[in-house]
Amino acid sequence: MRLPLSGHLRLLENEVQIAALLFMAVVYSFRLLWIFRFRARRERTFPAGSEAAGIRYSLLNIMMPWAMESTRKRPWFYVQFAIFHLGVVAAIAATFIIPYAPRVFEIGAVVRAFQIALAAAVLVGLLRLARRLRDPAVRLISTVDDFLSLLLMIAFFAAGVLAVPNDYRRAEWPLLVFFGLTAFFLVYVPFSKICHYLYYPFTRYYLGRSQGHRGTLPPRRPAASGRAEPGHGRGSRG
Amino acid sequence: MKRRAKRPSGIVDAPLETASQRRAEQDRLPSVADGRLRTYDPAADNVQAFLRLLGERITRSLAVSMTACVHCGMCAESCHYFLARPGDPTMTPAYKADQIRRIFKRHLDWTGRVAPWWVHASSPRNDEDLNRLKNIVFGACSACRRCTLNCPMGVDTGLLVRFTRGLLTELGIVPEGVFNVSRDQWETGNQMAVTEDEYLETLQWMRDELRNEPGMAGADIPVDRPDCDVLYTINPREIKFDPRSIAHAAKVFHAAGERWTLPKWGWDQTNFGLFSGDDRLGAFVAKNVYEAADRLRAKKIVISECGHGYRSTRWEGYDWAEFDQKVPTESVVVTLQRYLRQGRIAVDLSRNPEPVTFHDSCNIARSGDLVEEPRWVLGRVCADFREMHPNRRQNFCCTGGGGLLSIAEYRPLRLEVAKIKADQLKGTGAKLVCTMCHNCVDGLNDVIKHYKLDMRVVQVLELVSKAMVVPG
Repeated sequence: MRLPLSGHLRLLENEVQIAALLFMAVVYSFRLLWIFRFRARRERTFPAGSEAAGIRYSLLNIMMPWAMESTRKRPWFYVQFAIFHLGVVAAIAATFIIPYAPRVFEIGAVVRAFQIALAAAVLVGLLRLARRLRDPAVRLISTVDDFLSLLLMIAFFAAGVLAVPNDYRRAEWPLLVFFGLTAFFLVYVPFSKICHYLYYPFTRYYLGRSQGHRGTLPPRRPAASGRAEPGHGRGSRG
Repeated sequence: MKRRAKRPSGIVDAPLETASQRRAEQDRLPSVADGRLRTYDPAADNVQAFLRLLGERITRSLAVSMTACVHCGMCAESCHYFLARPGDPTMTPAYKADQIRRIFKRHLDWTGRVAPWWVHASSPRNDEDLNRLKNIVFGACSACRRCTLNCPMGVDTGLLVRFTRGLLTELGIVPEGVFNVSRDQWETGNQMAVTEDEYLETLQWMRDELRNEPGMAGADIPVDRPDCDVLYTINPREIKFDPRSIAHAAKVFHAAGERWTLPKWGWDQTNFGLFSGDDRLGAFVAKNVYEAADRLRAKKIVISECGHGYRSTRWEGYDWAEFDQKVPTESVVVTLQRYLRQGRIAVDLSRNPEPVTFHDSCNIARSGDLVEEPRWVLGRVCADFREMHPNRRQNFCCTGGGGLLSIAEYRPLRLEVAKIKADQLKGTGAKLVCTMCHNCVDGLNDVIKHYKLDMRVVQVLELVSKAMVVPG
């Protein structure tokens, strides 16, 4: 049986979150309209490959660390990426589980799993911050937004570690901090670099479409050397 | 965590040279007089013009590439400029792209308009700033798109660089070399200002030479023959400096029994519009080729070995010219592959015994679709083929791409960063480096000379021609 929450926490977990989510949805809608305002170009050439296959490959590229030299040569960076984004998923999930399915966090193993994911994300966030500060190439391109977004994410993950036990009877402040940050995030994210996930499908789609059309993506296997004879398969129309 | 010591920026501080532009104005060249070729006007408000063009020309795929960069820096090590100058943060592709991105953010994006300092958004203040932008996009990037394929977000920095070049070209804020080649292509229809007489005489000379070869007595290099199966288009460099490559092609076509022709007009498949970012020039040159195919009722356009020519004529040109493709358009290497597969030409690979490696042209491997085809052909005409590493889509630029061969002021930086290419070439132990791009031939020759490598550059047609077994 769950005891009643304080008025502040209840308001923050529910009405404030919903209002912030609605705000985010509205801003994103405008953002999408803004993107579609720019003209798109159409292909006028015979295809040498499949646009659909190129788009598919491009969108799934992020799950194929072997596909790009940048991630193939630096697997640790890719691991960091995975941990950081698992932390994002865990933190976002927690913002819904706590108010709407609190029983999930009555299971000790689930709480520990979330805490581990979030704590690992904190560590990776700190490593990323150190890299951004120490590496001259990354530091030069870093903006205030880049630093603040990263700091906010680290704080969000850290607050999540404390909030997921959902033990408001002992102390409400971890939950107040966590949901306060969540509400702030929902309002801030559409104006920050954190909304890169909104653009990801677009950049990947357009790259995949044009490269797929040209037969550059997905890459062909070396063994599959040789272009099909005229009238047969890829490249046949030239 | 690897820590790099910071070093000073390698971006060349070249002033805007306009002597050629002034001369073109004085000579009242038609392309300048009718506004197709733009010249720099110091009295104009170039910053405002730049911003207006930015707003007018940006497309959706460019806009998302402007907004999507997360500044992760993963692109750095995919760029030969950065690899050759580690610790120079201005060589990072993201930094170079940020120079146009910051202007986009300041004028077209939300956060940058409200709080520019928050996201490094800013506006160019004067022509000096635009000139610095010129030195970055023309001088510190060969637009090879290696970073594009290695960007986790899919940001197309190569296209952003080309787009920015196009805006600057419209204002005449370009390196002299870019202006000169653009002028020649606008004025003569080809980028080396080859006259019609020179063109026809060279073809005739090559035909006569070829006829002296065994089994080639009936060979011809036809011009403007209608209803052929193949319309062959070439690089003006072949007329000026490497006419043997035309003879090689003619030899192959003759042996394969091909019905082919070169056009009298519209034979230049190269396109400086790709390098300058000038879509109007791109459209003009590409349309010349497409209309030649139409006029002569050719069934197919075949493009000689040229990286940017292939990319322009096969892919981008149709878009620039707003011309829907009507006939198949292919690289001569694909044609060679077909002849070999169909047994239309016979080859003996022992005629090319020296170790050969292959250099993938950026415009063909990353912006085109031909990676395995040249290897398939080389595997049949060379006895000792060796890959260089990395290869295919991950190969490094010859360092002369993106029009850099035509721009003298950036040559020292270009040769400095060519160390990456030199190491790659040296590692193969090959005596011949083969490429299917005339631009790469010159770029690689520069690298070989500068780094004193014991190698020679060849092209696929040359090796096929040498390996051919011709009866008689």
